[in-house]
Amino acid sequence: MDPVSAAAIRSVRFRREREADWRQLEMLVRKSEQKGVRSLGWTEAQRMARLYQQAANSLSVAREISLDKNLLEYLDALVARAYLAVYAPQATVGGVVQKFLASGAPQAFRASLLHIVLAVFCMLLGVAIGYGLYVQDQSWYHVFVPPELAGGRGPGASTETLREGIYGDHDSGGFLGFASFLFSHNTRIAIFVFGLGAFLCLPTVLLTVYNGALLGAFLALHVDRGLGWDIGGWLSIHGVTEIGAICIAAAGGLRLGSAVLFPGQMTRRDALRHQGRDAVKLALIAALMLFAAAILEGFARQTVQDMTLRYTIGWGIGALWLLWLLGVGRGART
Amino acid sequence: MEVTPPEGVPIRFEVASLGARLGAQLLDLVLTLLAIGALVLLLAQLFTFGWWLVGFASLAFFFVRIPYYTITELIWNGATLGKRMLGLQVISAEGRTLSVYAVVARNLTKEAEVFLPILFLLVNVQQDPVSAIVSGLVTLIALIVPMTNRKRQRIGDILAGTVVIRKPVAILLPDAATAPVELESQSFSFQTHQLDHYGAFELQTLEAILRKIERPEAKSATLVREITSIVEAIRLKIGYAEAVNPEDHGRFLSDFYRAQRRHLEARQLFGDRRSDKYHATADESE
Repeated sequence: MDPVSAAAIRSVRFRREREADWRQLEMLVRKSEQKGVRSLGWTEAQRMARLYQQAANSLSVAREISLDKNLLEYLDALVARAYLAVYAPQATVGGVVQKFLASGAPQAFRASLLHIVLAVFCMLLGVAIGYGLYVQDQSWYHVFVPPELAGGRGPGASTETLREGIYGDHDSGGFLGFASFLFSHNTRIAIFVFGLGAFLCLPTVLLTVYNGALLGAFLALHVDRGLGWDIGGWLSIHGVTEIGAICIAAAGGLRLGSAVLFPGQMTRRDALRHQGRDAVKLALIAALMLFAAAILEGFARQTVQDMTLRYTIGWGIGALWLLWLLGVGRGART
Repeated sequence: MEVTPPEGVPIRFEVASLGARLGAQLLDLVLTLLAIGALVLLLAQLFTFGWWLVGFASLAFFFVRIPYYTITELIWNGATLGKRMLGLQVISAEGRTLSVYAVVARNLTKEAEVFLPILFLLVNVQQDPVSAIVSGLVTLIALIVPMTNRKRQRIGDILAGTVVIRKPVAILLPDAATAPVELESQSFSFQTHQLDHYGAFELQTLEAILRKIERPEAKSATLVREITSIVEAIRLKIGYAEAVNPEDHGRFLSDFYRAQRRHLEARQLFGDRRSDKYHATADESE
């Protein structure tokens, strides 16, 4: 038998015929990685896609016919990188935001109406519990309302102090600080009612009911002192948005939990991912509303003193949210 | 891990280690904190200091940190700046385009899964032991989950259907079969039965050794000894009776490599894959 020349090996010829194309693909991929796919022209982008398909083809053949380890590793890495470049996300940040506002968010909201009704029911149930227990025994107030949120307002405080809390001008300049405190507090609650929903809905329901109870006890305290109408206005101006946000976040949590509880024909993992699509959008709506509530809280709560105006602004903005979530983006769901 | 894109050819990816991901996360944290710090310092220079600045700083902590991960992963194809520096990337586990939803979902859950419990743990560790324990447990679960599955997915990754991988590096070396040969040196040829001893593993080990010999600084005494012992081992195994001169050792190995590779590749085409030198006994035991 004669010595074997390199050209007699099939995989060597295979590589010789294709190497130039691979090198070109390597260059195009590197360019698109460094400067973005947009930096490739029309012809280059088209060429990259075609070369990627050829390289994927080469990889599949090479795995069958070649025992050259370096070649196999190279093709694996090259095709992987080209795949990442060819299938890179095409969305721009601006386009994503626009699509979310114009169709994604309202459609997700309408698809989850059942869960939202459930969440609102939990909240109202909590309010009723908090209110009822306070009427029975005032010391329940301290169970529900943490002292740093109450800010000195409790059954022990005089009616004048409570009135001062509603109409008084808090230490000025601190509004941004107070708003950011409440914002992070409420965001935390929203994140928990949402995120813990995956644990079979239970934490979400409990937390929502607890928040309702907090609100109920707070309301009962003021109604007890004859300040019912006033506390309503004080709460409305930001509370409509804020409590709405917590309910929507809770609805998202319930969707996650129900995916784990009732996966139907899918595996639990798949069901979670499936329900997650709308649930995440609900969480984003809640975040947006919480942000708006923080601004309302910081700027408008103490500066707008007129009761009727407080009600109008609070519920007016609530109506705007509903209008957006129920009205926008009707049509074929994408 | 294997991913099958629409082209139908499975692509192998190396799943990123948890250490590298932690490193990328720390880099990202440092970057965002630096950005917030610079912003606050700038404002403090422009306006008089007041409590509003503290409020602004804590708001900025939310409004810089939370969108940072989502926006950078959208812009740079699944890599934040920290991941980019360490060569990591988020990909879709199903072999499709990384969707906007996946990026948003995995980064939102990161807040609830990683940041908040740790923050709670740090804040509550002295005042409120109960919630400190609860948040400690949540943190522990969040840390354990990626250790228990093979793709190193945290809960957010499972929800979004994503995997963090190490970006592969593609280096094409010259074909070991086409190494330049010294024309005047003696050439070697082998009989078919002599090529039936080894499998792919030995061939690829020989490939690595040939690449070592090709390098110009290869003439160290240990390498020469190693090569001599390899040549002797091969001669013994395949029953190559003639002695090989020391100056022809390189030529012997590269000739044997070519012959062996052509033989094994031809066998493979007929469906006879030989993974290593035990292929004969493995066949019998089946």
